Amino acid sequence: MTDDLPPHKALLPSGLRDRLPPDAEAEAAAVETLMAGFAAHGYQRVKPPLLEFEDGLLTGSGAAMAEQTFRLMDPDTRRMMGLRADMTPQVARIATTRLGHIARPLRLSYAGQCLRVQASQLAPERQIAQAGIELIGHDSPEADAEIVLVGAEALRAVGLHRLSIDLTMPTLVPSLLDETHFPADKRAALSRALDRKDIAAVRDRAGPLAATLSDLLLAAGPADGALAALAAADLPAATRKLAERVAATVAAIRSQLAARSMQGITLTVDPVEFRGLKYHTGVCTTFYTPGRQAELGRGGRYICSDPETGAGEPATCLTLYPDAVMRVVAPHRTAPRVFIPLGANPAHAAALRAQGFATVAALDPDTSAASRLGCTHLMQADGTAVALSE
Amino acid sequence: MTAEFKAADLAKDQDAPIILALPKGRILKECAPLLARAGIVPGPGYDDEDSRHLRFPTNDPGLDVVRVRSFDVATFVAFGAAEIGICGSDVLAEFDYDEIYAPLDLGIGACRVSVAEPVATAGTDDPRGWSRVRVASKYPNIARRHYAARGIQAEVVHLNGAMELAPQLGLSRVIVDLVATGSTLKANGLVETEVIAQVTSRLIVNRSALKTRPEAMGNLIARFRAAQAAMAAA
Repeated sequence: MTDDLPPHKALLPSGLRDRLPPDAEAEAAAVETLMAGFAAHGYQRVKPPLLEFEDGLLTGSGAAMAEQTFRLMDPDTRRMMGLRADMTPQVARIATTRLGHIARPLRLSYAGQCLRVQASQLAPERQIAQAGIELIGHDSPEADAEIVLVGAEALRAVGLHRLSIDLTMPTLVPSLLDETHFPADKRAALSRALDRKDIAAVRDRAGPLAATLSDLLLAAGPADGALAALAAADLPAATRKLAERVAATVAAIRSQLAARSMQGITLTVDPVEFRGLKYHTGVCTTFYTPGRQAELGRGGRYICSDPETGAGEPATCLTLYPDAVMRVVAPHRTAPRVFIPLGANPAHAAALRAQGFATVAALDPDTSAASRLGCTHLMQADGTAVALSE
Repeated sequence: MTAEFKAADLAKDQDAPIILALPKGRILKECAPLLARAGIVPGPGYDDEDSRHLRFPTNDPGLDVVRVRSFDVATFVAFGAAEIGICGSDVLAEFDYDEIYAPLDLGIGACRVSVAEPVATAGTDDPRGWSRVRVASKYPNIARRHYAARGIQAEVVHLNGAMELAPQLGLSRVIVDLVATGSTLKANGLVETEVIAQVTSRLIVNRSALKTRPEAMGNLIARFRAAQAAMAAA
């Protein structure tokens, strides 16, 4: 029996990666630009820890992330801890506990890394960067619209001007099924067909709802058409209210877009889609950039509940994924690097840094190292930076 | 971690042609009348299996056709390499990609995914007593799910063809395979004992493409829907 080759020391667990120059800097810059955009709209930054006790992390809206959460035991207390898979439940906990006494609506922002147990084949990353906002304590189309607009403006600041934003109402189909007393044992099969947009199977499985549901399935697309189909659909009272809320949210987003004369943003509505994070309870959004596969961000309305008392308050969130954003924006521009020969005047080097150069100090008399070290310029004795010829 | 695309290399833009992925083989022939009814005329050679070309223009400058293995159609569409495709529901059930919508049953390529076993053993042993079974299949996920739902652990031997040989050569107790007429089973001394799912070809679309290019994608789906309805009526 021969031994297997020892694993290469640089091999990382699947879904994890090193970010190298200049990507690491680009990611940090993108996150800071997004966060500055959030801060400019009054969203104050919080920083929850990486790890929490499992029973706190996975209550309320966190319960939906239970199966994606890495766990380890705290050797100190011997209680199980969870490594966050999503930051929204953590921010919700902060909002309802330590910031529970602060006036509402509460606007919070956050950025950090999350870890998930399982990646999908399509999205192989298990470590995911998030940068997001939460608007807690206000249930209105205007609050939904504010989150969308703040997100769109932040993405604009990193150079993304064309966005396609999909709005869904994950509670609409369940509400319709409840109100029409659709048999519980047939729901799983119907939900699956709806999720795949398989019209044939929906017609087959939806019984008396076949016509309504297939009309709504077909209506998914540009906001106007979808809203018209929702308005025309035969919906019972509570479901009708949800449909009206989607329409009101679209109207609120449009009026805010118009007020800021923001162009290049397409709104689509998918009335029967209900996928996404399981804790969402109202209008949800997914941000795309046209023609690209990646989702740039997701958000939606949820109940922000106090882990102690269980009391809930309305909240809405948007989480942007900096990794996905980075893949679709123009490459980040790093500072030009200037080589500072040994013994040069430190004041000259400081002056160049003030001009936006990154200075690379020589550690020995050899100036030929400049281009090898990635420098584009060489500082002269008079303190000027001269571009190196190729 | 996968190497990243630079933004500039990602040529796929809003205005790039939509790619329609078609499966090689049996279904490709059955697709021809449907494509014709939908007004899609691929360039010469697309239905010639010997042609070395894989990508063909169509009469619509905004639509190109690629020809790939039937299992790969789902993968191309799931990853967004093709926006739309035609693929058997067996493949969809096997991969279960959540990035794929399957809005239309095209009603072509009908067959079924079934369990088969040697005539000699069929009916000799009650599967209700099994805790595990060895299955040869090119559908490992379908086979596992099917048996798991009955409380049976399926030990899957993943083969890409000639499944019918597996039981007689002692590779597996049963096979899970696509059955059209059953003549291959019969010729190899096998009998179909259970139908897992009826199979037809579906029109599939990529989720992001449908969200971000709703007009173009919706229009294409509508053309296929009309073509399918016309063929069903004829």
